[in-house]
Amino acid sequence: MQLFPCPFCGPRNEREFHYVAEPGKTRPDTTGDITAEDWAAYLYDTKNEKGPVREVWMHLTCRELFVMERDSVTMDVLGSKTLRRTLPAEGAA
Amino acid sequence: MSGRRLSQGGLIDRSRLLRFRFDGRDFTGHPGDTLASALLASGVRVMGRSFKYHRPRGLWGAWFDDPNAVFNVRLRGDELPNCPATTTALVDGMQARAVNAWPNAENDLKGGLDLFHRWLGAGFYYKTFMWPDWHLFEPSIRKMAGLGAVDGKAIDGYVADQLHDDCDLLVAGGGAAGLAAARAAAEAGYSVVLADDHPTLGGSLYQGDEPIEGEEPQAWVAAQVAAIRAAGGRILTSTTVFGLYDHGLAALAEDRGFARAPRLWRLRARRTLVATGAMDRPITFADNDRPGVMSLQGAAEFLGRYGVLAGQRIAVLSNNSHSAPIVARLRAAGAEVIEADPAEGAPRALGGKRLSGVQIGARKIDCDTLLVSGGLTPTVHLWRHAGGKLDWSAEKAAFVPGAGPDHMLAAGAANGTFDLDPALAEARAAALGTPHATGASGYRVRPLWPQPGSKGRQWIDFQHDVTLKDVELAARENYVSVEHLKRYTTLGMAADQGKTANMAGLAAMAAIQGRPIPEVGTTTFRPPFVPVPMELYHGTRRGQAVNPLKRLELEPQHRAAGAAMGEYGGWLRPAWYGPEDQSAITAEVQAARQAAGVFDGSPLGKIEVMGPDAAAFVNFIYYNTIATLEPGHIRYGFMLRENGLIFDDGVIARLAEDRFLISCSSSHVAGVEAMLESWRQDGNDPDRIFVHDTTQHWATITVTGPQARAIVAALDTGADPATLAHMTLTEGRFGDSPLRIARVSFTGDASFELSVPASRAADLWQAVLAAGTPLGARPIGLEAMSVLRAEKGFIMVGKDTDGETMPHDLGFDVPRRKKKAAFVGDRALQTEAANAADRRQLVGLRVADSGTVLPTGAHIVTGDGPQRSIGFVTSSYFSPTLDRPIALALLESGQQRIGDRVQLRHLGQSLSATVTAPCALDPEGERLNA
Amino acid sequence: MRDDSQSWAPPPDHSQPLHGAGVTVTRILPVRQTLISAPDILTRQPAALGWPDVATGDRYSLCLRRDRVLEINGPERAAGWHDGQAISDITDGLIVFEIAGAAALALIQRGTEISERQPSRSVQRLGFGTELMLYRWEDRLRLHAPRADGPALWHRLKAHLDLMG
Repeated sequence: MQLFPCPFCGPRNEREFHYVAEPGKTRPDTTGDITAEDWAAYLYDTKNEKGPVREVWMHLTCRELFVMERDSVTMDVLGSKTLRRTLPAEGAA
Repeated sequence: MSGRRLSQGGLIDRSRLLRFRFDGRDFTGHPGDTLASALLASGVRVMGRSFKYHRPRGLWGAWFDDPNAVFNVRLRGDELPNCPATTTALVDGMQARAVNAWPNAENDLKGGLDLFHRWLGAGFYYKTFMWPDWHLFEPSIRKMAGLGAVDGKAIDGYVADQLHDDCDLLVAGGGAAGLAAARAAAEAGYSVVLADDHPTLGGSLYQGDEPIEGEEPQAWVAAQVAAIRAAGGRILTSTTVFGLYDHGLAALAEDRGFARAPRLWRLRARRTLVATGAMDRPITFADNDRPGVMSLQGAAEFLGRYGVLAGQRIAVLSNNSHSAPIVARLRAAGAEVIEADPAEGAPRALGGKRLSGVQIGARKIDCDTLLVSGGLTPTVHLWRHAGGKLDWSAEKAAFVPGAGPDHMLAAGAANGTFDLDPALAEARAAALGTPHATGASGYRVRPLWPQPGSKGRQWIDFQHDVTLKDVELAARENYVSVEHLKRYTTLGMAADQGKTANMAGLAAMAAIQGRPIPEVGTTTFRPPFVPVPMELYHGTRRGQAVNPLKRLELEPQHRAAGAAMGEYGGWLRPAWYGPEDQSAITAEVQAARQAAGVFDGSPLGKIEVMGPDAAAFVNFIYYNTIATLEPGHIRYGFMLRENGLIFDDGVIARLAEDRFLISCSSSHVAGVEAMLESWRQDGNDPDRIFVHDTTQHWATITVTGPQARAIVAALDTGADPATLAHMTLTEGRFGDSPLRIARVSFTGDASFELSVPASRAADLWQAVLAAGTPLGARPIGLEAMSVLRAEKGFIMVGKDTDGETMPHDLGFDVPRRKKKAAFVGDRALQTEAANAADRRQLVGLRVADSGTVLPTGAHIVTGDGPQRSIGFVTSSYFSPTLDRPIALALLESGQQRIGDRVQLRHLGQSLSATVTAPCALDPEGERLNA
Repeated sequence: MRDDSQSWAPPPDHSQPLHGAGVTVTRILPVRQTLISAPDILTRQPAALGWPDVATGDRYSLCLRRDRVLEINGPERAAGWHDGQAISDITDGLIVFEIAGAAALALIQRGTEISERQPSRSVQRLGFGTELMLYRWEDRLRLHAPRADGPALWHRLKAHLDLMG
């Protein structure tokens, strides 16, 4: 049972988390033309790498979306960072 | 003469006598005994029969490494199968029976099977019972083989306590190294948990008679225990660390006594020290399974812990320096000991049910007991569970812990440090994280591995009856990988998981192939280290707690009204009211159509979306255009996934410019909320959109039917239902509480959803029924509601849609063609597949008025040529309103087939129906404003 | 069609406390529970509690998320988007249990991995199979759970109390 670091809550049991996606995929502007290939790549292509990976996860209890770096072989967690570009103006976190 | 109890020594309490039975005979033992030690002390040799050949077997080891003595044990009416005799603490009144033996282990009727051993080698069953069908033979073969039978009676209160805990350092193993490490760490201020599977700490310290750091073992152990406790450390005895998992999680099973479920500890340890000691390896020679051939270490344990001498005239066969102090101890205890060197020649055990001697080359030694030690094997199982690697030590002829995760440590014999003082120094250094150089080892061992091609039947796996010849056969048939060897011969797959067998098995394979042992490698070590009952994982999650349902505030009112309750989307809800389903559902539908139905819609989602960007956000989330919705108004719509498939449907209300209320399906609230949060934080500005799930704050009572307006008007709400247009909402009061009135309809009749804070639900329910009953209203359940909506052709997502349904398949095509703004799933609605002409579309099906209700799930098939499914029935009911069956279906090119006659198949039955539009009742929608 | 009424015991009577060795579980009824979300909510309510902070008195706030608090017995606030805050009344949406006694934390540790040595900014966590807001209140623990999960949670707590003897 792994321990994942929510950027807001700190380390929590893996049961509280849900995998969301691989990061770095930007939703195409669907008001313009998008080829079927580009749309399929956006929907379905995943790298599913061996070794260090970056993944978007959700901490289900606080709903924080964050990028976690971990090693898919050793299961070591290498770091986590909120998906937000800007943090709310608060000193507590 | 074989084993006997000494008048002194050991950790048992000789002042008390415990009585028990084994295979129909009476015996006694003492507190502190195991079943095995008490039987050995009573001179019993044969304690079991082997799995396959029914060979007589005696004790090999004294603890978890014994493969042979496996009992069904009964105590005061509770019976447990497959108890290892060596780890089952003796309790007064126990009745034990050797498994896989009848009438008993001493005289087993199936003992004759051994004569056929020549034909029963590895793969025998696979090869022999292939034709005509294995299943023909399986039952009788299963009856012949196997371990204990369950008595089929559940033990009262057999429920595992499960808890979580954490510590800085978990020490697995309470021997010398573990105790020293735990003390050092506890005194340095770490929070420490020390766990040991024995009831008494000390590990292998009782085997020899050496003092430890100048003290007698018992005194030294007591001093460490006192110091650990004084420093705040916790000690768990009779507790096995049976698994190590990712990120420092350890699973511990705490024995709580016979026929009581163990307690599961899920312990998160910042560091874990494996101090699990080492096991004596068997030596592989002819008839090495004879009762009386025992592990030297096991005999030392029986002597040191239980005051039992394993035999009188004992031959010792050892290849290592570990045996000398034990031999001295055995002699001091009064045994006659003859030492032999396995290098003298190939050994062969002599005798039948009882060992009579051993032949070593030309030398024959008469003895009643043969103690063997083929070298020490560190207990590295836990090290491997958590991802530690193993190194081969040629010097120690053993696998020892190698590289591992930072939080994993190993010390003492488990780490290949077999000498006491270096083990203590190593353990303390590991506990404190200080550097430590291992000095030279005093342990000497001459490699001694199975000799392929040698004579006689030589056991590798005692519990699963695998011999050296079986390994040779596997190699000949090219099962040379250890993983294949294991599965082909079942070596290491018994309940003991090959604790004594794996090393011999892989060494045999290495010898057969002429490869070095480390190149052959080990099989994977997986938890649990020792068998644990399934109950350990079960705990209080049983009965209603296995998959608990959400419960309605009004459940007592529903039950009082005679409701049949059922699961609907994770909630326990009223299905119908009354003793019999069909008549109740019919009456409820008729009441709702002729007067009014009162329905508990509380689980319906109430997710609020607020903030400056809320309008743009919901416009993006919904398939339908929401941006143009006026405050106070409601719109029906779909949420899609990015692949264009329908995720949920429902209505959305705009409460204010910057505030929306999403009524998603009752069973989808959590999923919709998570989906909204995902889009909010990924691709939108989360500081300008906020999502609050308020579903459970509100109870919702829906009043539907021609009398609905009159009923709502009779409530003193401050709002006038007569002026409330369809698809609008308003706020009123119910007593002191806020009341939300939404006019939406899932039935096709005028309907009002009345929502109040959940604590007021009972009052509102009562008020609505008081106003409605004189007008003919009655409570209606989910089943009546399903019929009412099906009459109108309204869908239920997941029932009338599947994993391929897009909104235009249901007739909602306008946003796909016209909506300008981006929305979730938009591009996927324009793909080739989305535009295919043969998409399955929602239709109605009509059978002859006198016909029967179509079965839900029946396939619509092509009429000509080979039949092919072109769709299926998704909802089907008898409509009391129309007095005929109705059905909804998903059908290829369904819209174009309206009016066609189609064939259906269901479980071999042929049916027919006419394709219609989905809506069977009031297609003009006149009832809504009636 | 199946009637499962008998498979499910009627909801328990939460008004009678549960007693176990060294633990008592009582339902308490706050006058008001308010969800407040805002980008700067933790600046506005810096005292919002995390774990293992200790709440005292009648009125306090719990930190749920980076941008959300649960205000207990705070002032009545108009629901909706006001003054840069999203506000919802959730008084009846969350059932509240108070766990008193020396073994209070031990009871909770049956249902979730929690330790006073592992602080967290948020009081939200998964426990006993449901979402909980769990915090210390004076010398006790309190937890808020979705109202409809109350019966299942009560059932689990009782089962664990029975096991703890």
